[in-house]
Amino acid sequence: MSTPTLYLPRDSRLHHLHPLTKLALIGLAIVAGATLPVTLWVIAVYLLILMPLAAWGKVLPAFLRSSLLLIWPFALSLTLIQGFFAPGEHILLQLGPLSLKLEGIQLAADYTARILVWLSAVILLMLITRPDQLMLALTERGLPRQIGYIILTALQIIPRFQQRAETILDSQRARGLETEGNLVKRLRALVPLVAPLILSSILELDERAIALEARGFTRAGPRTSLTTLKDTAPQSAFRWLSLIVMLLLILARAAGWMTA
Amino acid sequence: MDRLKREFSTLTIVLIPVAIALNIAIGTLVLNLKVPLYLDSIGTVLVGALVGPWAGAVTGFLASFVWTLTGLFPQAIAWVGVAAIIGALAGAFRSGDWWEKWWKSILAGLITGVIAAILSAPIAAYVFGGVTGSGTDALVALFRATGLDMLGANMAQGVVSDPIDKAVTFFIIWAILRALPGRLKARFSGD
Amino acid sequence: MIRLERFSFTYPGEDQPALSDLSFEVPAGQFYGLVGPNGAGKSTLCYALAGMIPHYFKGTLSGSLTVAEIDIAQSSLGELAGTIGLVFQNPFNQISGSRFSVRGEVALGLENLGVPRDQITDQVDETLEQSGLADLGERSPFALSGGQQQRLAIASILVMQPAVLILDEPTSQLDPVGTSEVYALLHQLVGQHETTVLIAEHKLERLAEFTDNVLVLNQGRLLANGPPKTVLTDPLIEEIGVQPTRYTQAARQARARGLILKKDEFPLTLQDAQEFFDDAAV
Ligand SMILES: Nc1ncnc2c1ncn2[C@@H]1O[C@H](COP(=O)(O)OP(=O)(O)OP(=O)(O)O)[C@@H](O)[C@H]1O
Ligand SMILES: [Mg+2]
Repeated sequence: MSTPTLYLPRDSRLHHLHPLTKLALIGLAIVAGATLPVTLWVIAVYLLILMPLAAWGKVLPAFLRSSLLLIWPFALSLTLIQGFFAPGEHILLQLGPLSLKLEGIQLAADYTARILVWLSAVILLMLITRPDQLMLALTERGLPRQIGYIILTALQIIPRFQQRAETILDSQRARGLETEGNLVKRLRALVPLVAPLILSSILELDERAIALEARGFTRAGPRTSLTTLKDTAPQSAFRWLSLIVMLLLILARAAGWMTA
Repeated sequence: MDRLKREFSTLTIVLIPVAIALNIAIGTLVLNLKVPLYLDSIGTVLVGALVGPWAGAVTGFLASFVWTLTGLFPQAIAWVGVAAIIGALAGAFRSGDWWEKWWKSILAGLITGVIAAILSAPIAAYVFGGVTGSGTDALVALFRATGLDMLGANMAQGVVSDPIDKAVTFFIIWAILRALPGRLKARFSGD
Repeated sequence: MIRLERFSFTYPGEDQPALSDLSFEVPAGQFYGLVGPNGAGKSTLCYALAGMIPHYFKGTLSGSLTVAEIDIAQSSLGELAGTIGLVFQNPFNQISGSRFSVRGEVALGLENLGVPRDQITDQVDETLEQSGLADLGERSPFALSGGQQQRLAIASILVMQPAVLILDEPTSQLDPVGTSEVYALLHQLVGQHETTVLIAEHKLERLAEFTDNVLVLNQGRLLANGPPKTVLTDPLIEEIGVQPTRYTQAARQARARGLILKKDEFPLTLQDAQEFFDDAAV
């Protein structure tokens, strides 16, 4: 059982960038995907920026698999819902009272491309960044360290909680609890299923808190860190530049400077 | 400020990751039980009810990031605001005796569900083009067919699905609160 | 090193004190055991010695408790961390979970104490070596066996080089192999680093083998304080509901059935038992 994250350790230049630099890269792709006015340009962000980045990070197969797996339900729903219900003139297909329209398909394609870009940008970030290093980078920049504790601990204890939930499910089934059958039966099965899991989790919190206290968690005063993150002047410059480009893109979009 | 400090004791700090893990473990378990519920905010509601609105909001907020980081549901960060408000509402219902009676907790859940649905609709409509890529999209199509616009159809879909889920979530948490010793509960809220 | 004078503690809202009028001392560098039936107050005493009472669990205190010259009640948890270490049963709850590697987990306490990086590296390496975790440093803490996780929990405390180490049934969730690993580590610690150790434990044979002295607690009161040989073979402990070792039980039954003994003492360990029965005559 391992930590449920997407991170893939690879020896690549991309992996070795400072986590905030990676965050800036991904932020740039997300902002571009949201603000660029033409669908094709948005698709270009995926094809010409995100995919090459993934290849550079030696995670291209996983990137393609995850992003396509994620996008197809959106693509399907959007094509049907926008295709049939968005207003338009060019009817492609008439099904009784419903008609599939070209304008709807175009709208669906535009939404699909934008969702694809931002979701796959997030996925790429996770494929190439260890969550603990990302949190360390943010903590060094002033994020309260309790937030880092919460996120990283949650990530690591999930498998244990899933395992406990399964164990309770099995034992309740063995005692004859109905988890099959009609809806009312399945609903009634929920409380004895989740209550023991929640109650036992609450009762062990004191131990978790004491264990932290015993290690100086609430001690006043400065902290140090075992691990260091490598940062360079060019990376810092790149991050500032990205920030400016992102702001410009947003401004251009809001002011209507960019049009198809 | 005083309230804030009281809510974020070490006990609360260790509660929050456990609550997030409960959201995810129970949320994924329920998927397999084939009930029309999510229960994926049960931990968030627990923290709100046990500690208060700020802790509840922080739990919902951070839970969205954890859902994203696990890769199980990367789109969760789009809903981060809604998740935070659900936690805050669960905490806000501590004033008044909403958590005292089972039917009041169900009512509080229904109200939370309606608010969540109303807040979610614009995100679904404008960020995701009106779909979630899941089974509830069939409902959105249905409401579109009745003539509602995209925002309206998403709101209608939410109002059909969310309140039931939140009512069941709030009811389960009511049962949990009742099972906990009063002295333990008092230590969470610092009251 | 540890000194209690008429120390009592009552949990909030309870009328019976959980610890009642305790007075004893543990000299520096000694290995002490703590036994008692369920609910005797062993965990409560461990919490008090580590300052969790009154700084985490509130309640009513009286008398005095000093550890390593610190008046616990006047101190704070931040100050006590690193001086008094506390380890308890469940390894899963003791692993913070906020570090992705065994090394990182061990380093956490030193990071909180603000120790400089080079020194952290040295102390972490040394502690990993000492606890037999050196080869597992880059592993996820959650990918370890139960025994390894408990050694990790102990290592995470040891790395702060506490003068006093308090352990509350640290082996109760471990198999015999895991238990032996933990005791071997503690034994080495007392021998080489002169750490003062107090361990609450149900496995009396281990106490017999390793400890200098044993405290017996019942209903919050101290019933006995003496060397394991005398204290743990005393019929008194069975009366309060602590099960004696199987060797003590066997010898007692043998005597009850007419075995005549030269020695007056009851055996505690396998070795004792062999000598005991060698001397015996029917
Ligand atoms: N947080 C608490 N609040 C109130 N009473 C408590 C609390 N923790 C323990 N007690 C009570 O204090 C007494 C001593 O409990 P303690 O846990 O210290 O015993 P123990 O010797 O460690 O038992 P065990 O062998 O079961 O671990 C018991 O009567 C218990 O019910
Ligand atoms: Mg105990």
